[in-house]
Amino acid sequence: MPRLIRWLEKKRGDRRTGSNLVGSVGEAVFHGAIFLLGVGALAALVTAHVMQPASAWYAVGVGFWCMVLVLSSLAIMGGVGVLRTALRLSFSAERRSAMARRANNLDLVREAVPQPKDFPTLPWHEGLTNSPGTELAYRLPATNKAGWRLLAMTFFSLLWNAVACVLLVVAIRGWLAGELNAFLASVLIPFLAIGGGSIYFVLRQIWIDAGMGPTALEICSHPLLPGKTYRLHLSQSGHIGVKSLSLWLVCEEEVTYHQGTDIRREARTTFEQRLHEQSDFQIEPGMPFRADCDLAIPPRAMHSFQSEHNAVHWWLVVRGVLEYWPQFERRFPIIVYPGDATMRIAEPSSAVPAPHTAGAPVRPLAARRSAPAGVSA
Amino acid sequence: MILMEPLISLCLVGPQRVFSAGDELIAEYQFDAVAADEIQAVEASVLWYTEGKGDEDLGVHFFERRVPSDAEQGDLRSLRRFTSQLPSSPLSYAGQLFSVRWCVRVRLFLRRGRELVQEVPFILGAVPGESAE
Repeated sequence: MPRLIRWLEKKRGDRRTGSNLVGSVGEAVFHGAIFLLGVGALAALVTAHVMQPASAWYAVGVGFWCMVLVLSSLAIMGGVGVLRTALRLSFSAERRSAMARRANNLDLVREAVPQPKDFPTLPWHEGLTNSPGTELAYRLPATNKAGWRLLAMTFFSLLWNAVACVLLVVAIRGWLAGELNAFLASVLIPFLAIGGGSIYFVLRQIWIDAGMGPTALEICSHPLLPGKTYRLHLSQSGHIGVKSLSLWLVCEEEVTYHQGTDIRREARTTFEQRLHEQSDFQIEPGMPFRADCDLAIPPRAMHSFQSEHNAVHWWLVVRGVLEYWPQFERRFPIIVYPGDATMRIAEPSSAVPAPHTAGAPVRPLAARRSAPAGVSA
Repeated sequence: MILMEPLISLCLVGPQRVFSAGDELIAEYQFDAVAADEIQAVEASVLWYTEGKGDEDLGVHFFERRVPSDAEQGDLRSLRRFTSQLPSSPLSYAGQLFSVRWCVRVRLFLRRGRELVQEVPFILGAVPGESAE
């Protein structure tokens, strides 16, 4: 028999092991108390100024307005919390979702958050087809994760090394004055080492991003349908000897979830197929490496999917192993629509034939021994 | 005195549990062992939800809410049938980190804040890895 009062409860995301009603009431009481505290204290502060201006707690100035700001924030946070709890208790999850769907169907919202009309949960592909290619119809944009990483590393390196320079100057001045601070000197050594390391990683990232030259990937049509074959054109600029350059079709699941107060992200590759590979060649300036190949989406592949916390992404990934350079990888997102083989169920008398992807090898994934979910390859 | 839980009977019309995109889904439901004036509202929906490591997402494809004033003589217990044309996506999917599941769900709201839910799963499409339950 379950206990009436459970002292320890688990919580993950929006799910709890305890009573939803008790939890919601507790949440409402907490937010209500914050709201009352904010409103009450704000009212007391304002009335004190109105009724007894001479002996008020705070003279009207920065301090007074700071208090008004803090107390207003408390009132707003508490009020919004109570309203959210009331909304959650008054409307079922399905009703909230139906209301959100109706709101999404409004033209204004649809323009702000576009989505293919007949294919809910498929990502919008407008950004992938607005750049024409030189060889084929569209030039696919690469993800800019590397750019953000470089920016973050550069910011950290600048900040860290600025502090290190100040400490270095102080230490040298002390040493020249004959008053070397031993503690400062001992702290400075690891500090400078970390600063030097950060400069190395920034330069390495710049080397990868800028020195390698741009990677261009063009495709004959987009979005893509399972069971169809498409032409790809790969172009890689630079001035480097290449041990191997390969192009892969990759399907990846990505989820985000709450763990305590943290939001965590996890991604797992469920399908990889090599489309093209070339080894041991030289890229010369003004003479980019060029290659054409076919892209066949497996007939029974899961389509691209995007919801708030869960997604199925399809990528074209260029991987390079270079002489004297770090390995590099560039990703190009593509959108795969549901195909006929997956949208239509087979008639009982006619079983769906085992799909077959001819030619290119499929890399087995250690994480999954059998065929990856959603893809028959 | 024996207190009985209200009974929700929910079923898909026909033997089919696996549907193609664009198929028409027909479901019906009714309630027993509950007084008519006990029922405050009924919500029927056709929806998909995610299940797995990520936080749950939910999308309603069809939604119908009925209150006593919508029913004949204010009695929501009688048999109710509804139809919905299924969309092209998302298709049912059993992945490594998460799955996409489809179901028909009926939620019964009783007086004093009580709620009862019944659902019938079904499969939309034929993505490998997803099998009929």
